[in-house]
Amino acid sequence: MNSTFLKLNLGPQHPSTHGVLRLILEMQGEKIISCEPDIGYLHRGMEKMAEKMSYIRYLPTVDRIDYLAGFFYSELFCRTVESALELDLSERVKYIRVLLLELNRIASHLLWIGAFLMDLGAVSPFFYVFRERELILKYFEKITGQRMMNNYFVFGGVRHDIFDLDDVEEFLKILQNKIQDYNKIITDNPIFVQRTLSKGILAPDLAVNSSITGVNLRASGVKLDFRENDYLYKDIEFNPAVLNGKDSLSRYKARIEELQTSSEIIKQCLEKLKEHTNFRNDLVNPINLKLPTGEFYSQIEAPRGLASCFIKSDGGTSPYRLKWRTGSYYSVNLLRHLLKGEYLNDAIAIAGSLDIILPEVDK
Amino acid sequence: MNTDKIKEIFDCVETKADKIIVKKDFLNVIDLIKNNYKFDMLKEIIAIDNKDCIELIYNLYSTENDEDLKLSLTVSNNEADSVSKMYDSAVADEKEIYDLFGIKFIGNDELKRLYMPENWQGHPLRKDYSENDKRLEWNE
Amino acid sequence: MNYLYFLYMEFLAKHNIPQLFGDITFFCIPITIIFAALLVIVLALVLFERKLLGWFTQRKGPNRVGFWGVLQTLADAFKLLCKENITPSGANRFLFNLAPIMMFTPALVVLGIIPYSSEFTFISTETNLLLFVIFSALPVLSILIGGKSSDNKYALLGAVRNIAQILAYELPIAFSLMSIMVLASSMNLTGIMLAQSTKYGALGWFWIPCFIGFVVIFICTLAELNRCPFDLPEAESELICGYNTEYSGMRFALFYLGEYTLLLANALFISILFLGGYLSPFGKYISPILFSQNVGNIVLYFEQAFWLFLKAFFVIFIVIWIRATMPRMASFDLLKFSWCRLLPVSILNLFIVIIIKYFGGLYA
Repeated sequence: MNSTFLKLNLGPQHPSTHGVLRLILEMQGEKIISCEPDIGYLHRGMEKMAEKMSYIRYLPTVDRIDYLAGFFYSELFCRTVESALELDLSERVKYIRVLLLELNRIASHLLWIGAFLMDLGAVSPFFYVFRERELILKYFEKITGQRMMNNYFVFGGVRHDIFDLDDVEEFLKILQNKIQDYNKIITDNPIFVQRTLSKGILAPDLAVNSSITGVNLRASGVKLDFRENDYLYKDIEFNPAVLNGKDSLSRYKARIEELQTSSEIIKQCLEKLKEHTNFRNDLVNPINLKLPTGEFYSQIEAPRGLASCFIKSDGGTSPYRLKWRTGSYYSVNLLRHLLKGEYLNDAIAIAGSLDIILPEVDK
Repeated sequence: MNTDKIKEIFDCVETKADKIIVKKDFLNVIDLIKNNYKFDMLKEIIAIDNKDCIELIYNLYSTENDEDLKLSLTVSNNEADSVSKMYDSAVADEKEIYDLFGIKFIGNDELKRLYMPENWQGHPLRKDYSENDKRLEWNE
Repeated sequence: MNYLYFLYMEFLAKHNIPQLFGDITFFCIPITIIFAALLVIVLALVLFERKLLGWFTQRKGPNRVGFWGVLQTLADAFKLLCKENITPSGANRFLFNLAPIMMFTPALVVLGIIPYSSEFTFISTETNLLLFVIFSALPVLSILIGGKSSDNKYALLGAVRNIAQILAYELPIAFSLMSIMVLASSMNLTGIMLAQSTKYGALGWFWIPCFIGFVVIFICTLAELNRCPFDLPEAESELICGYNTEYSGMRFALFYLGEYTLLLANALFISILFLGGYLSPFGKYISPILFSQNVGNIVLYFEQAFWLFLKAFFVIFIVIWIRATMPRMASFDLLKFSWCRLLPVSILNLFIVIIIKYFGGLYA
């Protein structure tokens, strides 16, 4: 090893790695020469576990893949099983799912805003976003009985009908005001702009090649939103924000825009839920549930990029092989390229701007 | 549809269900598909242990045409060609598959144990894992 | 001061204690008083900051220990005292132990220089402005020693960052101080303060003719104290805790206490230089109007101290406000900001002040 390089182990116990990410950095002064991400400190063997469990026993654990967006993985797993069993959801159930997914997306992005600003050294926004996120979690608790690991979706429907939709409408109104506040305190802050503008440039080619999806990709100017082909979002009109900045600032702005997009989707859902008042679940008996032999694949646009679930079944009561694809896993991989040549305190901001959640990475 | 064209063009492939099974010349096939048919994103690589062999499913995606393509490759001798030169995301996938299935990808320099400790014996997602590994004895 | 000395000697003579003893111990008294008062005020300052930060972020702040959380910092200090002092195995033991002491001692000395009221200055020399600058910059040395000796890469990076930061920010301070010296024709803190006493009250203080200098010194003080947005040496999201990563227990408490003492001292310093120190903002003191001559004199000292600390806490309030609002600056922008913006501006300020002094005649 060249003795002029400082080898720094950033993590796994470090305040700004959002969990237990370990970055092995080789630095010259504060300039990063090379970065090697090391993961696996939070590996729970979700894929191995599935091979030993029946489908209904596995269902509550999938929320834990991404604790900030549990609904998405729950939906993903249910969707894969439903596609295997060829179950159809009733209209109302579909809109209930979309409503909760988008609320979850807002909660996840809000938390990211706080954590990102925390990485940049601003403490207050963290508390402001928690205030708004709290309203969503309260509503989740009311509906599902849980704040984070909801376990509300089941194969063929949801556990029970949704209620208290006025809370959601009120939340949307509050959120609109708060977004204005965020723009005032964060987006217009000169130091914030200085720290993020043209920092961590992610070229569209590299992003696509590195399999980056979701908001990070749209902030690099590629219009790709897997919600557009999603059967749940079929009757809902929305326009995902595409920004051309390619830097940390546009990743931040894209997430703020995403809050707006999500609230618009929620508004439409509320309208649809008023139309479709007939609640009908098409449930299957989960005891000894067997999937037909074959390979089943489904995907969803999660807050941190494309998430997909692959199940190969041999006709037994548990999957023969189950594979998760998570967005953060590829973002971590991208850090090898993105952090090269950056200074340490920019590197933290860039890594933070990709929205990496470690349980999702390690699965 | 690009997928249909690809099926026609390559005689080294054979289709089954919704995926194309590549028999030989895998690197050339994937190179041609990437460059000529604009499948610029490798969504993921799925490895399945079919007991007699290990199957790799390359899930390709074209951002321009919004189209999916699944390539299937059967691995023998626990060795496969790496596509990390073409798709950067494959580095991550191949690392994971190396750790959990024990497949060496020729051409990927960053292979090492990812989740499991360096000196761990066996590869957890293989179907023959629990029978062979002595470490599990103290665990049960 | 002479009056106090006389009283003390008389007290000793009454009890037949030799005068030599009195001569030696007399100088220990102010230090003891400072230390006691300092501990109370710094503990209050920590509470002040935590409460304010709590309110800025929609929280209540500490409110469990004691009424309204007043004993919270005391409880924290007690906890730190009870903790084990861990020394890393690769650390240089002597330097590692020396660093916190070196942080705290200059901070104490600095507080002795401040004129609290017209009869209450412990160290009054002709050039105690320079003394202040020297002693308030000394803790940098302890940060370097602490960062280097603790055998931790984060601590080392934090210390190196701190040195670069101090080097960049000392120069604008020097130029701004020069403009103050020009305005006041004095290098004594009391002299500078008294030069501001005009009949216009708050409008006669130096913050108006030397406004640029005021802003520059305020920004540079933030940088010297490692406060947000210049808290790079201890940036918790990058360097965990910077130079004091490896410190624990009482040693950490000394660093912590030293930082807050310096914050207080610098706030007092700014309020003396620019905000009229212990002068009343109305031009005249209130206590002589309210009280008779004899009582009024003693109350006057307290009134002066009250004004001084009110101004200091106002400065500290702004410091905390900025901390609650701003993200941290990037390390190279930080240096650029000082060398390319603050330094030219402070030199410009010096020229403006010289012109004001030459033509103005206000501060003759």
